[in-house]
Amino acid sequence: MLNIKELLEDIKSNPYKEIIVRSPHTGTVEFAAGKSGDMVRGRAGTWGEKPGTLLAHLTREKNKKPIYAPEKGEIVNIRTELEGAFVEAGQELLTLRHYLTRKEVIERILKQALFLFRAPERAKYYFIPEVDQKLKVSGKRSVKVFEGMDMLIVSRMKRETPLAYSGPEGLIYSVYFHRGDNVDEGEPLLGVCPEDQLSTIQDVVARVQSEWEEDE
Amino acid sequence: MDREKRLLALRNRLAYVEDVFGPDGNDSIRVLKARAAEFLERLPHFPQADVEREFRRIEELLDFSEKKLEKELTPMDRVRIVRHPQRICLKDILENVYDNYSEIGGQGEYNIDPSVLIARAIISRRVGRRVVNQPVLVIGHEKGHGEEFRNGGSAKPWGNAKALHYMKVAETENIPIHTYVFTPGSYPVEDYPGAAQQIARNLYEMSALRVPVVAVFSEGGSGGAEAVALADRRIMLSHGYYSVISPEGAAAIEGRLRNGQRADSALVERCARQLAITAQDNVANGYVDRVVQEPPLGARPDHFEFFKTLRREILQATNEVVSSVKSMKLFRAMALSSRTHRKAALDPESIYVRWDLSNAARDRLLCKRYQRFRDMSHHAYRDNRTFMDKIRSGLEPLCWSLHSFVSYGLARGMRKRVRDLAEEVSAEAFLISERVVRPARKALSRFSGPDQPRAELGKRAKEALTRLSCPEEGACINGDSWVWMSGRAREDRAVSCPNARTHGCPDLWAPDLFSEFAGVCPCCGHHFSMEYEWYFYNVFNYAEAQEFNADIESGNPLEYEGFDAKIEQARKRTGRKSSCVTFETSLDGVQVVVASLIAPFRGGTVGAAEGEKFILAAERAQKKHYPFIAYVHGTAGIRIQEGVNGVIQMPRCTLAVRRYIDAGGLYLVIYDTNSYAGPVASFLGCSPYQFAIRSSNIGFAGPGVISETTGMPVPPNYHKAYQALSRGHVHGIWDRREIRKNLYQVLLTVGGRNLYYR
Amino acid sequence: MSNRHKILIANRGEIAMRIMCACRELGHDFVCLYTPEDKYSGHVELARELGGEQSVYKISNYLDANEIFSVADQANATAIHPGYGFFAEDFRFARRVVRRDRPMIFIGPSWWIIRDLGDKINTKRIARSLGVPTIPGSDRPIYDEMEAESIATHLFEFQRAQDIRGGMVLVKASAGGGGMGIEEVQDPDQFRSVFRRVRNYAKRNFNDEGVLIEQRIFDFNHLEVQIVSEHGGKRHVHFGTRNCSVQSTGKQKRIEVAPGFAPAEVPYAFDADRVLDEITRHSLAMAEEVGYDNVGTWEWIVTPRGEPFLMEVNTRIQVENGISAAISRVGEQEHVDLVREQIRLGLGDTLGYDQSDVRFSGISIEYRLVAEAPERDFAPCSGRILRFQWQEAPWLKMYTQVPKNGAYEIPMEYDPNLALVIIWGENLQQARERGVAFLDSLILEGEASGHGFSSNVAFLKARTQGLLEF
Repeated sequence: MLNIKELLEDIKSNPYKEIIVRSPHTGTVEFAAGKSGDMVRGRAGTWGEKPGTLLAHLTREKNKKPIYAPEKGEIVNIRTELEGAFVEAGQELLTLRHYLTRKEVIERILKQALFLFRAPERAKYYFIPEVDQKLKVSGKRSVKVFEGMDMLIVSRMKRETPLAYSGPEGLIYSVYFHRGDNVDEGEPLLGVCPEDQLSTIQDVVARVQSEWEEDE
Repeated sequence: MDREKRLLALRNRLAYVEDVFGPDGNDSIRVLKARAAEFLERLPHFPQADVEREFRRIEELLDFSEKKLEKELTPMDRVRIVRHPQRICLKDILENVYDNYSEIGGQGEYNIDPSVLIARAIISRRVGRRVVNQPVLVIGHEKGHGEEFRNGGSAKPWGNAKALHYMKVAETENIPIHTYVFTPGSYPVEDYPGAAQQIARNLYEMSALRVPVVAVFSEGGSGGAEAVALADRRIMLSHGYYSVISPEGAAAIEGRLRNGQRADSALVERCARQLAITAQDNVANGYVDRVVQEPPLGARPDHFEFFKTLRREILQATNEVVSSVKSMKLFRAMALSSRTHRKAALDPESIYVRWDLSNAARDRLLCKRYQRFRDMSHHAYRDNRTFMDKIRSGLEPLCWSLHSFVSYGLARGMRKRVRDLAEEVSAEAFLISERVVRPARKALSRFSGPDQPRAELGKRAKEALTRLSCPEEGACINGDSWVWMSGRAREDRAVSCPNARTHGCPDLWAPDLFSEFAGVCPCCGHHFSMEYEWYFYNVFNYAEAQEFNADIESGNPLEYEGFDAKIEQARKRTGRKSSCVTFETSLDGVQVVVASLIAPFRGGTVGAAEGEKFILAAERAQKKHYPFIAYVHGTAGIRIQEGVNGVIQMPRCTLAVRRYIDAGGLYLVIYDTNSYAGPVASFLGCSPYQFAIRSSNIGFAGPGVISETTGMPVPPNYHKAYQALSRGHVHGIWDRREIRKNLYQVLLTVGGRNLYYR
Repeated sequence: MSNRHKILIANRGEIAMRIMCACRELGHDFVCLYTPEDKYSGHVELARELGGEQSVYKISNYLDANEIFSVADQANATAIHPGYGFFAEDFRFARRVVRRDRPMIFIGPSWWIIRDLGDKINTKRIARSLGVPTIPGSDRPIYDEMEAESIATHLFEFQRAQDIRGGMVLVKASAGGGGMGIEEVQDPDQFRSVFRRVRNYAKRNFNDEGVLIEQRIFDFNHLEVQIVSEHGGKRHVHFGTRNCSVQSTGKQKRIEVAPGFAPAEVPYAFDADRVLDEITRHSLAMAEEVGYDNVGTWEWIVTPRGEPFLMEVNTRIQVENGISAAISRVGEQEHVDLVREQIRLGLGDTLGYDQSDVRFSGISIEYRLVAEAPERDFAPCSGRILRFQWQEAPWLKMYTQVPKNGAYEIPMEYDPNLALVIIWGENLQQARERGVAFLDSLILEGEASGHGFSSNVAFLKARTQGLLEF
């Protein structure tokens, strides 16, 4: 059985996540505003239609593109010396200290409680169309998986091969990968909740909901 | 008891006066208030004998003040009057003007849309000895004295659909329709049938509704009003308003406010004044036939005298409409008309006209209705056509009609007969050759040995298979480039696709994007908006087109403050005189008339000049038997600075379009970039063939207005073309690069019977 | 040439390395790009060694043209070399290079030539207009059923006349590619229904109803002619032919041999010398006619009866350019480097020799060493290379981005090519023997997850025996 209390204490001792904001491509950087210690917010709105706080502009080929804060947090390290300079792709621009939200804490703790289906090799993964459709329409927890079920497509070196699920029967509770991102070997892809453990899992969620205070 | 009632009435009247003059009030009100307060305070102490006298005194004072204040009413005060919960509403009218009625299509709260009330009503009259009951259909908005569920008389799309349904019923039953406009505007949701599309459908059907329609305006808010107000007679209550937009809405636009900020009241007042929204203004402009005088400061449910006046006016109006198209008129018609001239000779109650119409009379009715609206708003635009042009524009249609009659009417029959004959003959000839020549050739070849040698055959085949086909096209058949190129294609810069975040589109190089790609993201298919010239030249063959009526010019009919300069600026920037460009052109050999609303000229808004040009284009297409294409590069709606001169283009143009379609034409609408409000809710939305260009937005009201009116957040893709397609508002979505192909396909496959190439 | 240029290399791996070396030899500077996945690639290391840290830039993606131009401006590059793959045959890229506010030199043919010859149908039409043989069939998308049927009838007739048994007609969507929307017809009666099916497929999938109809050709050899043309498109020479018939599934070339045939050692059913002569003649004539102005390759197929048909033109330097160089000599020069020639000509230098100065000797074989599993349908394989060693020899050239004996991670994002091996022999027999000797001496070890590490060494060895036999 999980010791939720201990896990929570553990997270509470360091309730932050460092997010490094990097330049997505080459270009000239202009920081928008803000200094170390400023608070920023992430994408918001019912449909995620409101972008986060503007952090910087990156101009490439006369195209000025905004860089927004991905999450809520505090600016801890801002590389102001790069102001007006040409940067290469992947250059660190600033670091955000993000206070974990309730949802993220739940995800973290659930990772301990759920059965994790892991990536067999480094590749890009995505769902087969039927599953994808169902997840989009009815949401997670609507898809039941069982041993040997064709569920994912592994895209590697321009080739795509199907991947069958192996593990206990249950519902998809969490999805840990994004379409188009590389997943390293052994990283979790899915969190599956066996149906008889559903109440335990919901218990965990309820516990965290009540015990984790989100800093507004 | 009586005293309590009287007291309540008194309090109500006081509150009403206070409300009408807004938060600022004026001196007379303050005096009145002080006197009333004094009265109320002293009331319990009055001796019984004095009570009656004191009551009378204070009531007289109120009467006097109301009369005095009446003269001080500003347009904005009138707006407050019509919105006041104490104002008469449709239920009051049904009870007091008509002799009997039954509500149909729902009851009270249990209604598909409680803000639209429909009733079958009876008007009973004594004619000589007997009593005649004349049935009418009453349709109108119900404000319900502020009842929450009535939604302030703001009709939902399905409410308007219900109204339309019963209009058709009235048509079947051949009874007149009385409509009452008590709406601040339509409820701007896009759910099926959609605010704009349903209003357009209503207008389209009302354009050819074969029964008399009389409309009464109390609160006429833009498109919502038009949905039931396309009528043969339009009467207005003296304290009502009829406007293109609510004064607050106009102020929000004027002040460039966003996110529901409120405009300050001075600006709202100014807008209300400038928009010419009062009954007097509308009569002066010719958009309303008559005004029904209300009691001072507006009619309230206990003004019984007023209902009598209203009843008289309505009977009179209905009688007038009917008798003007009836073949048997005689004295009654004379009596009616004499009354209009000399005032009050005969009471309309005493004139009995049967309200059902014969088929011929119905045709005349439609003709008159069209002519009525056709004659409106000519003062509101500047006609810069030369004298000769005008003469020509009068004569030319006659020639076109004649030409069409001869070539598509007379000559076509003849040609067809000749063609049929030729076909028969050639079929006969073929048969003969099959029967006679072939056996002979076979016999011949039997003599001369076997078929041609195989090698010979192979050589011929090889020749056919390896030679360059169609050498006249040249060896390179690379995709043809566009005739017209955007200026943005000359800037060396990269552009990001708005879908980059979700679709991972790479940045595009502007010269590629805006020339070769025609503004389409090759990754996700997003269409960047393109200049209207792009479509004119690349789709509509503008270089060889013949533009007409370019000299009809948008003006500033209401002398709206600062608008002259804005129009002048638009004129300079675009080099055009209105946002509507009409021309005749040829698409792969098919002659068509195109009317286009272009966004750079005042956002493609429609005013009197645009409406007139649109109608002239529709008439031209009809006379010449050409297809009529409305290409909407973008329109933000009706031009608010023209007030009702703009709104009236909704019914005007719809009537013209309806006439064109009924004459057997093909009316096609193509939406591009952003198309909103009035035009979509009338002459564009009524087309049976509407197509959208990808990534365009189509709707009734913008997201800001919707969230303000409905209190619901609006999803970012709410107005996207694909949403409009799934709601059934448009019938297809076209890729910009294939418009021409699709257009041609449509020209060949859809449309009425009277196209010249059919 | 006095002008010192700075050439931005918009490519990776082996070709980027060769361009760097050529730049150095010609006295030009260069700028090199890499993506995060490629940080261990040999080309980054070599760039740092030859050009220093300031000549290396990290970008997000080789396929984002904006990244390339952004770096080009930053580094003040004056020319761009696209290598092969990526932007090499993208006429829009080439056009942008010269049409920018700060134009640069595109080392390759002019953009309109890339555009006109980049389209197979267009190439076929140009070829036909010049009398260059092409595959019998349509030379533009066919929309009309009657027209299609008439072409098919002709094709069946033609094959019957030539006594081709089991003659077939290919029906393919003109907008398709990679084997999508292709069907074969053997029975003339079925043509109509197949045509309609393909047309509907094309409409549904490519939004273009155009269909091509061609003779189906069996068991052909895949030959190429290497053309080198001067800037301005006035003078053209060829550097012999190549045979690229050994391919993996998916038509990926694995072994190439120059020249295209070896009549001295292999008996052919047709006059191989005549065929080689014919295709070089036609290729040169076509280059002349279109004003071709850089290095390029004319690809041909040759049927078992010895009929050549032009397939397409590759308007770039090709992977297998090394074997053409290995069998060619210009005047007194010991060896030719086609990459160097390309840069030299691309920057506007004159050819300096003509066809009579180009001499050919011997046979050269190229192996493409790829981390893939031929037994599993050539499935690519990523992972780490642990050991990579071979025996140097004067007849051997290795082009590889894998550091010798160094640890190397095969990036998952790109083709798992490891090395190009070029072997020269005086005749076919010797070249084959040397090839096998090389493959035997090669030590290649790696580790990978999944099915484990594999390479195509055994496949290459097996296919060496039958080389150039037809």
